[in-house]
This record gives sequence, C-alpha cells and structure tokens, in this order.
Amino acid sequence: MTDTMDWLEAIGQDATLRHASTDELTSTLEAAEASEALLAAVASGDSAWLAQEFGYRPMMSPQSSQTFPEDEPEREDEEEPDAEVRLALSHD
Amino acid sequence: MVDNIPALGLSLGQMAKACFRRAEPAKPQAPRHERQVGEGAGSPIGHMSLGAPARGKLPYYLRMTMPTTPMPSRASQGSLACVGLGMTLGSHLTPLARSHIMQADVVFAGLSDGIVEMWLQRMHPDVRSLQSYYREGKSRFTTYQQWVELMMTEVRAGKRVCGVFYGHPGIFAWSPHKVIEIARAEGYAAHMEPGISAEDCLYADLGIDPGRFGCQHFEASQLLLFERRIDPTGYLVLWQVGLVGDRSLARFQTGPAYRQVLVDLLSKDYPLDHEVIVYRAATLPIQKPRIRRVALRDLPSIELTAEETVVLPPAQRLKPNLAMQARLAALDEQENAGVPA
Repeated sequence: MTDTMDWLEAIGQDATLRHASTDELTSTLEAAEASEALLAAVASGDSAWLAQEFGYRPMMSPQSSQTFPEDEPEREDEEEPDAEVRLALSHD
Repeated sequence: MVDNIPALGLSLGQMAKACFRRAEPAKPQAPRHERQVGEGAGSPIGHMSLGAPARGKLPYYLRMTMPTTPMPSRASQGSLACVGLGMTLGSHLTPLARSHIMQADVVFAGLSDGIVEMWLQRMHPDVRSLQSYYREGKSRFTTYQQWVELMMTEVRAGKRVCGVFYGHPGIFAWSPHKVIEIARAEGYAAHMEPGISAEDCLYADLGIDPGRFGCQHFEASQLLLFERRIDPTGYLVLWQVGLVGDRSLARFQTGPAYRQVLVDLLSKDYPLDHEVIVYRAATLPIQKPRIRRVALRDLPSIELTAEETVVLPPAQRLKPNLAMQARLAALDEQENAGVPA
C-alpha cells in the first residue's frame, strides 16, 4: 500500500497529478485508499491536515543575512554553542 | 526505466555499489589545516578564520569568497557536497543531488518544511537536522557557524558529507558557501550542486522575466541599513521582509512598525497605492503558491512570514538614454561607411 509520503513524492513527480484539479486528485486518492489526512489536505487545500499524520513541527527558514555583508560574523555566545555541537557529535 | 544492464549482468544498484564503494574511514591524523595555517589546536570554529589575516586587509568587496579549485584529494579523505533540494517535495530534486545524498556517509539537513525533512530521511539512514540550532534570541550567525562546524567535523573525520538545503544551497544561504570555502582551504574536495530556488519558482509562478525590465534583489534589512539605489523602472524583489529591520539577527519576526520604515523608504520611489506582490512558493506538491496583491501602503498591516517575498513591479517606464543611443548611432554610421568601429 502506498503511504502518504510516497503519495506526496508521486504527486510531485507526475505532471498530471501535480496540476490536477482538486476534484480529480481527490478522486484518484480516494480510489487508491489514501490516508484521511491526505484526502482532507487535498480536498480543503490546507496542508495543515497532514499534521495529523506527520505531527506538527515549526521550522525556521532564514539561512543567511545580508544585513551586514562586509563583516565576518562574530560568535556571541562562544561557550554555549560549542557545548551544543559537542553534544550533537557525541550522539553520532 | 532501465533498471539493469544486461550486457554486464548487473543491476543499477550493483553498478552503483561497485562504482561508489565507500572508502574506509580515514585514520585519525594530525589535522592538515593546523599544519597549513599554523594555528595549532583549538576550537574547530577557529578554522573558519582561515586566510582571514591576508584577506582582512582588503575591503570586503575585494575579498568575497570565490570558490577556489579543489586541491587533489585521496579517496580515503573526507569530502563535501552542498546540494539543493529545490522548493517542492518530489518535483525539484535533481538526479545528481539525489545521488550525492544517497552516496554520502552523513547528511545534514537545512530545510524549511518538516515533512520535506522526513522525505529526506527516507533517502538516507543518517540525516541530521540543523533545525535544533536555531533559537529565538540567539544570533543566527552563531547558528550558521555551528552548522559549518558540524559539517567540517565529519569531513575531517574522513566522511563523505552532504549538506542538503532547501531551494538552492548558494542563494541566501551563508553556511554552504562558507563550509565549501573552508573544506577547500583544508584540501578536501568540496563543491556545490545548484537547486531550484524560491527565486526560480517566483519567476514561473508570477510570470516575470527578470530580463525584460531588469530586476534588483535585496534583503529587506540591507535596503534599510545601507544607501542603495533603487531603480523603479525594473522589478524590485525584497527578501526576508517578515523580519525587516532586525539588526540583532536574533529575531524571526518583526512588527508592523519595522515594515512601516521600509514602506517609508520605498515611498520615495513608488506611489503608496502601487500594487506589490507577496509571494511564497509551494513546498508540498498538494499546495499552490501563495500569491497576494496589496497596496504598498498596506504592507505593514498584513500578516507576513519570513518565507514570504515581496515583489514590486516597475513603477516607471524605461527612460531612453539618448546620449548612449547617439554614440551607438555614430558607431553604426562609421561601420556602414566601411570603417570598423
């Protein structure tokens, strides 16, 4: 049975599914017995429904700042981050 | 899809294993970077200052970090690839980026969507999320430096490391450029594979060709903090407007008053009723891009996230440069008269 992640990948890779109407995609997923969370997300246009299946995890997105582009960044809290990194590495 | 090569009697999986058998981890050895730069043992973060004494005498625009040619490396040494996952799950990952992920010993993930990160975890058994290093009140530069430190630690341990970042790993992303610069300076093979960025999606979803009228891109905060020349005859694309004006680099959101400062600046070149576009690319294939159109004056009062981008279409017609046109006409006449210009 195709699970929701497989379905998401399949939809992302298929030109017909990726650009299908809500009704068409819902019908396809219903026929394939996709999960209730995925069906609800597609039918409502609200991907927040997927949290039922995958959980909710807020994610940060900024990965740079051009605010002061001429300055190499200085570490502010020298001790604490090193401890964080050491902890992460010790769990490998 | 071809899944085996009959002439060789091998499946693609077997071929891949034969071609890309992982090297044995390198034995611990004196770090080459210490010998090269004479910094001695210290915090790994210290390695980020490689070359800084020489470059530090130059103005920043002359010491921008251009990737250098990788030095030859042995198979047993660590290596690094920073790849882009694209913006939309399933749609944008290139075959080459996927290959880097699957062949790596360890994968670090700098992604913006939790489900996309779970998707990545299906591609590799050792995916380490970089999300936990963010914290409200902590400078993001510290976070980005930690990411570099984490990746370099594994490279120095002889691992094949893949850093996976959403969109394009080299656009509005500090750590991938920095870690590649450091890895190369220490003699490791390191390179970047491009990905489909939010900017790419923006052009497709909004029907904008940046070449038509020209297109300027700024981080919104930089536009406020420095004297920049806005050209209202072309497109203006402003990134990270949701946290505009945050000089601490420790916040992920700023309020309407900060955006009002931005609007006040823009109002010198654009009328307040100029329609601006607020855009967010789809990260899941069941989503549609989020596109809102509001008047410039209303920008402070709407809800805006860090992922959203603000586009200002041209507000003025292109002005012919009559002096340059006259010079070109004179050259044409010269050429027509048989005298090469």
